[in-house]
Amino acid sequence: MPVAPEREVEAFRVHYVTLVVSVLAALLLQTVLPVLIPVAGLMDFPLLVTVYFTLIRQNQIFGIALGSVLGLMQDALSHGYLGMFGMAKAVVGYLAASASMRFNFETLFARCVVTAALVLIHDLCMTAFQHALLESPPPFLPLDRASSVLVNVALSLVFFPILDRFR
Amino acid sequence: MTFDPNSPETGAPGQPVTRDGPNVQAFIGRHRSSFVLAAVLVAQLLLLSIQITRNHDVRLIRVWAVAVVDPFQRSMHGMTDLSVGAWRTYRSLLHAQQENQQLRVQLASAESQILQLSEQAAESGRLRTVLDFKNQLPFQTVAAEVIASSPGENSNAIFIGKGVDAGLTADLAVITPEGVVGKTIAVFPRSSQVLLLTDPASGVGVMLEKTRVQGVLKGDSENLCLVRYIMNEEPISFGESILTSGLDQIYPKGLPVGMVVQTSAGNIYKNVAVKPAVDLSRLETVLVVLKPNSAQQQASNARP
Repeated sequence: MPVAPEREVEAFRVHYVTLVVSVLAALLLQTVLPVLIPVAGLMDFPLLVTVYFTLIRQNQIFGIALGSVLGLMQDALSHGYLGMFGMAKAVVGYLAASASMRFNFETLFARCVVTAALVLIHDLCMTAFQHALLESPPPFLPLDRASSVLVNVALSLVFFPILDRFR
Repeated sequence: MTFDPNSPETGAPGQPVTRDGPNVQAFIGRHRSSFVLAAVLVAQLLLLSIQITRNHDVRLIRVWAVAVVDPFQRSMHGMTDLSVGAWRTYRSLLHAQQENQQLRVQLASAESQILQLSEQAAESGRLRTVLDFKNQLPFQTVAAEVIASSPGENSNAIFIGKGVDAGLTADLAVITPEGVVGKTIAVFPRSSQVLLLTDPASGVGVMLEKTRVQGVLKGDSENLCLVRYIMNEEPISFGESILTSGLDQIYPKGLPVGMVVQTSAGNIYKNVAVKPAVDLSRLETVLVVLKPNSAQQQASNARP
């Protein structure tokens, strides 16, 4: 993975319409798709949107804000406590922005690696928060987590090139 | 609105230097995003604790989120339903088309079978009638199927499926339960030719049912016959039945031949038109009346 001096990696502008539509579409797909396709429960569209826009925006505050908003929306649409997804995605946004300021993620391989790492970190954060804050946290299932990483990396291979067209 | 790619992530340079301040402010400036992250996490932890203390009762954010997403969810659900419905309808139509084709084939086969069975039933009924009639007759008969008609427009003759092998000879009466058909004129090993009543060459000794006046019935056209040699003064009523007289030594006495449909006075003899009792165009099974010696021959043929 090529290393670049801080602030020398090119940042891209994103039109707010693209961002809003992407956020809405991600939330929509996250709620509708699992009803139609059971395997879509492993997909995390809001997480992919957070990762993609934070990587190209290269701004930690932006990453934290986007992750928090998307996570809170996801929490709001789920039956869990508000803040679980919000905190996990804020951490992911922060880490994605920090990494994007040091490395170039324009290649396919680099994107796959960072997406896999961030999905894993997100899942670990969720598990950690649930175990730390909830009375009866759901069990940690390594196979499910591994499947989630694979599915989301595969999804990013389709999803990111589509979003690239709107930069 | 666009996001500025060059906005500062870290603290702004050029902070005023004080005794305690510069280091703290510079530290905060360098790690501003980390502090923001910490603040966000703390805020959300507070939100979580509020929910836990209020027993999950934080509806406002949920209401907003649902209000934003719900219309899109509904639209997408509607579109999905529409697409799934269209696809299912298409699949059903395709399946129905295939099923329709199969059913059409089955229907054609069933119709053919029904036709065959009803034909067999009708034939069985006809044969039962012929058999009943045969059993009532005081003389011996042989049942035969009509297998062909003689070629030629003016040829009022048919072929039956019995011949010498069944004991038939020439000049045997051919009848049905309805009446007289004609007589055998040529006999072959397994078939015979029958001259119908309506042929001009045929002749049958007949008598009127009521007055018992006798005459000779000759063929006249495809559907009608004429009775000759009945005097003008003999009374004949319309619709009167004509029976065989038995004088021709071929047809047994008393068999129905036809009925009078027209009469007119001639020079000496009346012109009497008769419609045959049998529909000669729809013959299928007939009985051939055997003569006593023919009956004996048939009995000897039947012996092993």
